[in-house]
Amino acid sequence: MKKKSFSILMGMVLTFSLLLAACSGGNKGGSNNPSTAPSNDTGAKTEETAKPAEAEKPTEITIMLPLNIAETPPNTIKNELEKLTNTKLTYQFFPADTYEEKLNASFATGSLPQVTYLKNQATFVQMKEAIREGQFWEIGPYLSEFPNLGKLKEEILNNTKVDGKLYSVYIGRPLARQGIIYRKDWADKLDIAAPANVDELFAMMEKFTTGDPDGNGKPDTIGLADRNDLIYGAFKTASAWFGTPNGWGERDGQLVPDFTTPEYTATMDYIKKIRDAKAMNVDFAATSKTDQVNMFTSGKAGVYIGSMQDVDSLVKDLVKNVPTAVVDTHSMIAGPQGQLASWSIPGYNNVALFPKSAIKDEGELKKILAFFDKLMTPEVSNVMYWGIEGTHYTVVDGKAKASSDKELTEREVKGYKDSVIGEPETNGMYEGFHELPARIHAEQLIVENEKIAVADPTAALDSPTYTEKGTGLQDLIKDATYKYIYGSIDKAGFDKAVEDWKKRGGAQIIEEYNAAYKK
Amino acid sequence: MQETVIQQARVPQPRTSELKKRLWKNKWLYVMLLPGVFYFIIFKYIPMLGLAIAFQDYKPFKGIGGSDWVGLKHFERLFTEPDFLNILTNTLLLFGMNLLFFFPVPIILALMLNEVRLSFFKRTFQTLVYLPHFMSWVIIVSISFVMLTSDGGIVNELLAYFGFEKVNFLLSPEWFRPTYIIQVIWREAGWGTIIYLAAIASVDPGLYEAARMDGAGRLRQVWHITLPAIRSVIIILLILKIGDVLELGFEHVYLLLNSMNRDVAEIIDTYVYTAGLRQGQFSYSTAIGFFKSFIGLVLVMAANRLAKKMGEEGVY
Repeated sequence: MKKKSFSILMGMVLTFSLLLAACSGGNKGGSNNPSTAPSNDTGAKTEETAKPAEAEKPTEITIMLPLNIAETPPNTIKNELEKLTNTKLTYQFFPADTYEEKLNASFATGSLPQVTYLKNQATFVQMKEAIREGQFWEIGPYLSEFPNLGKLKEEILNNTKVDGKLYSVYIGRPLARQGIIYRKDWADKLDIAAPANVDELFAMMEKFTTGDPDGNGKPDTIGLADRNDLIYGAFKTASAWFGTPNGWGERDGQLVPDFTTPEYTATMDYIKKIRDAKAMNVDFAATSKTDQVNMFTSGKAGVYIGSMQDVDSLVKDLVKNVPTAVVDTHSMIAGPQGQLASWSIPGYNNVALFPKSAIKDEGELKKILAFFDKLMTPEVSNVMYWGIEGTHYTVVDGKAKASSDKELTEREVKGYKDSVIGEPETNGMYEGFHELPARIHAEQLIVENEKIAVADPTAALDSPTYTEKGTGLQDLIKDATYKYIYGSIDKAGFDKAVEDWKKRGGAQIIEEYNAAYKK
Repeated sequence: MQETVIQQARVPQPRTSELKKRLWKNKWLYVMLLPGVFYFIIFKYIPMLGLAIAFQDYKPFKGIGGSDWVGLKHFERLFTEPDFLNILTNTLLLFGMNLLFFFPVPIILALMLNEVRLSFFKRTFQTLVYLPHFMSWVIIVSISFVMLTSDGGIVNELLAYFGFEKVNFLLSPEWFRPTYIIQVIWREAGWGTIIYLAAIASVDPGLYEAARMDGAGRLRQVWHITLPAIRSVIIILLILKIGDVLELGFEHVYLLLNSMNRDVAEIIDTYVYTAGLRQGQFSYSTAIGFFKSFIGLVLVMAANRLAKKMGEEGVY
């Protein structure tokens, strides 16, 4: 029994076990590093002695990046890349789910490799402090020496700058993928046209709920399937239609957060109206993405608001349950005043950084940048993004058509696909060839959306208070928004939450962003 | 066992030679003890040094050695945080309910199982009530979600069928605590009976026989023999339970937590997760964890003292 008195101490230690786990993980990563490096060394040396005639020996580069599939990909693509770029590559894949942990641990132990991919914009914000501390190479001044890297889009590069200096190369993503995915067969049956404005969309959802679109005589359908996510769920996309700024907007010459605008309130009222009419899943504040997707793919819900590129995976499962289902995508939904808008991301979803702890001098950095310069050529980026022609894809009408063996492509190519720098316009890789009409439509709409895209003006700005407590403060607003939609607080209660936000540091965030904006 | 060693080492050594002799005599016992000692030193005590970051502005790239020391800054922030009182209240309330509603259940269940005479039925039933313990919280919460949702969940459909109002179990603050407690009871009650059943099994059957001779009924026997026999086990388990005060099951609460019930559902554990991992405030969350462990320690010491006053043994 005496042993049990230790349980209290164990309890104390439990709290730190997470940190510890991170540390031990880091050690592992750290020991991987040196062990692979020497083997590369010897490899390179033998090559040198074997082929003394070779002018340049391959550059050795170690790359750390998140992996979105379960298994580490085989070397098929890596070998091809090495051949094309005259390099000796070591890819360190880590599961995306725990990538932040690996990143922090490797960073803490000084074992980040020469090329370090982050995970998303949020990890980039967290890294900013370390970037300011001079832990990474500034690459801005070198870009002009590399013709292909120089093609990277200026406005997106600006979004990734820290204090006006460039430290990273970005992985491009379409700016505005937001729109709706809906059941065309239901709409046709009930004689509803694609909604042109928010009121028509509401009417559609209501009819989907009450009009028995699946024709089984039971009131078992709903309009919208939404989830507990105010950003990538329906809310933010709808808020853009109402004219709400994207995160922050300029009002009377001042930057203000979106939730202080009347348009935000109008959006809350709109979602409240849909929920009160029971035209959506009323428990959406507790619904996960899996449950939301299930509602759509099981034929219960008729409208999905979010990224239109999700249509492929939605349709794939929907037709298994409802073989007759027809789906279409749609955007360009006008607000109450007839205006069109779509919120957009800053054009990238991840960046790669170059740690000073691994890259000793300018010469080494230039060699690595030269590698990235080659990655930006069509031949190389196609290999990384689409795989090997004939095996993983074929070219149809100048576009890449993925091979039908999706599993092979996923296993061998997907790991590299997510690390391609730039986008088709800058690195010259093939655009995708799609067969699903709704997806083709979605791709057209994404191009159209770009014309009405609303950017977040704070994407390139910096607020120390926001970096420190912004995420925590945002929860105040998030909670208040749900409570308003659920009717447990009114506008006055919501305003109180906003006041609270300001008092706890929000006022400082406003001030800091405005000061940075004026510069 | 480990403690005896530590205590012996701490003894001021007037009779060193005798101590040495004793150590030498039992040397193989101590050798066998070593792995255990090292386990605790390496995995329990050394990690505790990490507590230092609660008093620093810890930066991963600077390490514990290089980060600035800031004294009690993070504790000050914790105690002045507007949500702090609310979170502490939620934690203690949930703990109190746990003690009040969950703790007696395994005891009652064990007593009831003990009275079952049909061995086949008893074994089957025991296995059935153990089973939920092996299910992860994710599964239990998902099952409850499917049952309780107002979008066609069976419970709400039944309520509607019998003409009652639908209840928003998942999102209303009033229903969070009952849901939590019921789920805890369902998952853990059966598992909790194991120790009690073992204690009951060691009761001398002669006592029951004697009681029956004196004309005691079933309930009398339970009250005067079984319960007093397992009294010390109950008290030890109670003290240990109090030690876990603030281990309310992070995973469980986090899964139930949503924007609508945060006012009653945010507990210290979930707050540490949000502040520490999502927002990367390592020092601050370590300070909170430290504070939490401190409460646990105080409560255990108090409970232990109380137990000793009541004439029980306590855990140390």
